Amino acid sequence: MKLYKKEGNILQVISFPTENVEKGDYLLVEDLEAAKALIAQVIDVQFAAVPGVLEELLRTLPDGGEPIQGEDIDLMEIAPHITYIQDASLLVCKIRATFENEMLSPSSSWLPSRSQSIIKKLSTPMLMKLARIEGNLPIIIGGTKDTSLLTIDASAIDGTLNIITGKKGCGKSHLSKLLMVNLVGYKATVVIFDLNGEYSSLGMTSDGKRNIYHDKIHTLTPSQNFKVALDQLPLNTVMGILVNALHLPGTSAREFRRLWKSLKERGKLNMQELGEAIRDLNCNQHVRDALASRFHSFVNSGFFTDCIGEATLLDETFFKAKDQGGAIVINLKNTSNIDRQIVVEYVLGKLVDSLSNWKLRAVFLFAEEAHLYLKETYWDDIVTRMRHYGIFTTFITNQPDTIQETIYRQADNIFLFNFTNEHDLDVVSRAARVDAETVRSIARDLPPHHCLTLGKVVSDFPIVAKVRRLDVKTMGETRLFFTNHKAQSCN
Amino acid sequence: MVIEQYTITNKYNFPQPNIDTILPQRFLEQSINSLNQVQHPLQLNHTTTPQFSTFNQNQSNLQIKQTPITLKPNRQETIIAAIDTSTIKIGETTKGIITAVRGATTWLQNHTYKYTRLGPFIFHITEDNKKELYNTLERSYFSKTFGSYNQINPTLLQMPTRISNLLERWLQTMLTKTIKNGVLLFDGSLTAGTPETPTVRLNEILSNARKNCSTVLAFSKATTLRSNGILITEQLPKYDPPYLLETEWIKPNSQMRLLGDVYVARLNRSNFAFRLDIDREIESTERIDAVNKLLGNDLYTQSYPETLRLSHILCTFTANEVLAIKHFINRKHGIQIINRPDMHRLLFGPFGFRGEAYA
Repeated sequence: MKLYKKEGNILQVISFPTENVEKGDYLLVEDLEAAKALIAQVIDVQFAAVPGVLEELLRTLPDGGEPIQGEDIDLMEIAPHITYIQDASLLVCKIRATFENEMLSPSSSWLPSRSQSIIKKLSTPMLMKLARIEGNLPIIIGGTKDTSLLTIDASAIDGTLNIITGKKGCGKSHLSKLLMVNLVGYKATVVIFDLNGEYSSLGMTSDGKRNIYHDKIHTLTPSQNFKVALDQLPLNTVMGILVNALHLPGTSAREFRRLWKSLKERGKLNMQELGEAIRDLNCNQHVRDALASRFHSFVNSGFFTDCIGEATLLDETFFKAKDQGGAIVINLKNTSNIDRQIVVEYVLGKLVDSLSNWKLRAVFLFAEEAHLYLKETYWDDIVTRMRHYGIFTTFITNQPDTIQETIYRQADNIFLFNFTNEHDLDVVSRAARVDAETVRSIARDLPPHHCLTLGKVVSDFPIVAKVRRLDVKTMGETRLFFTNHKAQSCN
Repeated sequence: MVIEQYTITNKYNFPQPNIDTILPQRFLEQSINSLNQVQHPLQLNHTTTPQFSTFNQNQSNLQIKQTPITLKPNRQETIIAAIDTSTIKIGETTKGIITAVRGATTWLQNHTYKYTRLGPFIFHITEDNKKELYNTLERSYFSKTFGSYNQINPTLLQMPTRISNLLERWLQTMLTKTIKNGVLLFDGSLTAGTPETPTVRLNEILSNARKNCSTVLAFSKATTLRSNGILITEQLPKYDPPYLLETEWIKPNSQMRLLGDVYVARLNRSNFAFRLDIDREIESTERIDAVNKLLGNDLYTQSYPETLRLSHILCTFTANEVLAIKHFINRKHGIQIINRPDMHRLLFGPFGFRGEAYA
């Protein structure tokens, strides 16, 4: 390989076919005289502009577009050299860092010698060693192209905002499960809003046996094993549900607050008393109607109960997860849109309450397709405000434009799967820790189950890895009509 | 000797029998030999010089007959075959030059163009080895050498053309021996008695063609022949093409001999015409019939036969190939390419352009 050009933080390197360099690979451009080296990542592979190639190609096609038939008696065997030159490639590389005095710095301000520089591929283990990516709490993400493992440190996810995104069916949920079980393994508390009911079986191996996480996975299904009594609810949580999930107007909210306090003082805070109190409320008809409709939403959700024995104390589940680590899976499958919003609002309110009272130290929140159960603006609030309480969110989505730009700007880590749509790539490239060229160029060509990891977890050295298999029972597979059995019976 | 590294796979399958592979073998041997003679340290100038395939003689006292010979395409299936060779100077060493030679034969059969390319052969030519090199190559083709002192002792700069010419004549011989009832297209004229082309050699080629009932048509891409001071290809009468214009009374210089009659050929409505030499030993009607068969079988955009055009294109060296040859000599023979300063550029800056370009 030979250094050809440097423009800004873009390097152009001439490479020959035998050198076998691909997109995503890292190169070490070493200038021995300057005792420095550039670490650059290949973001595009193009044909080198070799003079005469056009003529070479044209003369093989003069016969009406069909290749002219012929034989070359090349006794000196020059042809391999012609092919070698013709297939030379131009590697467009992004400078990621300068390595000097055993230290890495993000500088790209110096110019290595064009003629003297030695360019070689930098293996992932070497890169990880230089960038100090591995830590004390390793999470193996998967295998890289050079058959080494991409291992990140769990502490690099701590206190961060993460986004897992990519096309449908490319392995996003799989990666989120992998991160989740590893965090649980390190005794972290994880809460998952499980839209498709695919996380509940994480405690089982693929062949249906219990695995080491079995006792740490707590699945809560609203209106089944997850109900709450009004008496257990703090007022601000209920107000959050009414205002944010059920869009109760301000005047009605004030009236409800008064009603709630009154019932609480009389020790009659239950669904039946609340319903009667609303019915008998002496106020504007519109306000009463508004409160009555919200009350019916409460009733219809099946999430609220007057039977204390039936009510699940989320605090208890949090407590279980607190010491030994655990995942609280909020199973939102088969839950209507309104009910989903009520449940999510309740859980978030409860989390903030537990965290602010130091009942919990911190929580890793995994939110799949978050736009389906909370307003975009509300997530913004969670990301910016609740981070300080200790809620560290990971968004998982196949529609990157449903996440607000402000969230992308704050994202610390992005796990990016394949995208071909320009618009989707544009959205993701707004993240502060990502450069648009890398995202556009590498993400477009990622094979299924391959993930481009960007951000703090990889010390800002984007690395592509094939996400490793996880021996858990998968539940997130799409139900198909044409299964093998169906296809066979058709035959 | 490193010759063992190279084996001649006898895959030269162009038409048929008894193909003599001695010359290509000698080309290969001499090529490797000459490259192995290079001593270190080496300098190889980075510049390449234009490649050329033929040259034209200056002849005078020529008259064009103003009555054109009308041509009518004859679609009787006939093999059209063409030959061209090319040479290019790859660079200079302290002792000489490094040059590459390649030849191509193209033929049209059953409405399909096919080709065989021979080479490239790379030679390191020095004052010390040029005589031996040329004589060895010539002896492997002909049992004896021909001509004057100049012919067997060409200057260093003449050597690439001489070697290329030798390859071209060999390819022509092979073609004339193998193709029957065909039309054979040569690049250049049928002028003999030049240092490159002894009369005996060209005579033999034409005689072989005649024996196999083939006709040789030699097209010159450019000519210096003039009639009344004007180039013969620029005196076209207002007459519907295709046609030939006959010429007469050519008085070549004493050493040269024309083995063909010279015509001006305008084959289609494009505004181009070319000098065409046709073997003068052939009957006039046969000559016209050969051109008619060419018109009936081959394409001739811009008034130039496609088969010959392809031969030229296929043997021409592209810049990519020049790079590859440099890569080859560097890898196989350790010859380094050094950018020697261009004195014209150095002294005259932007005015030092010498018009180097690929032909």
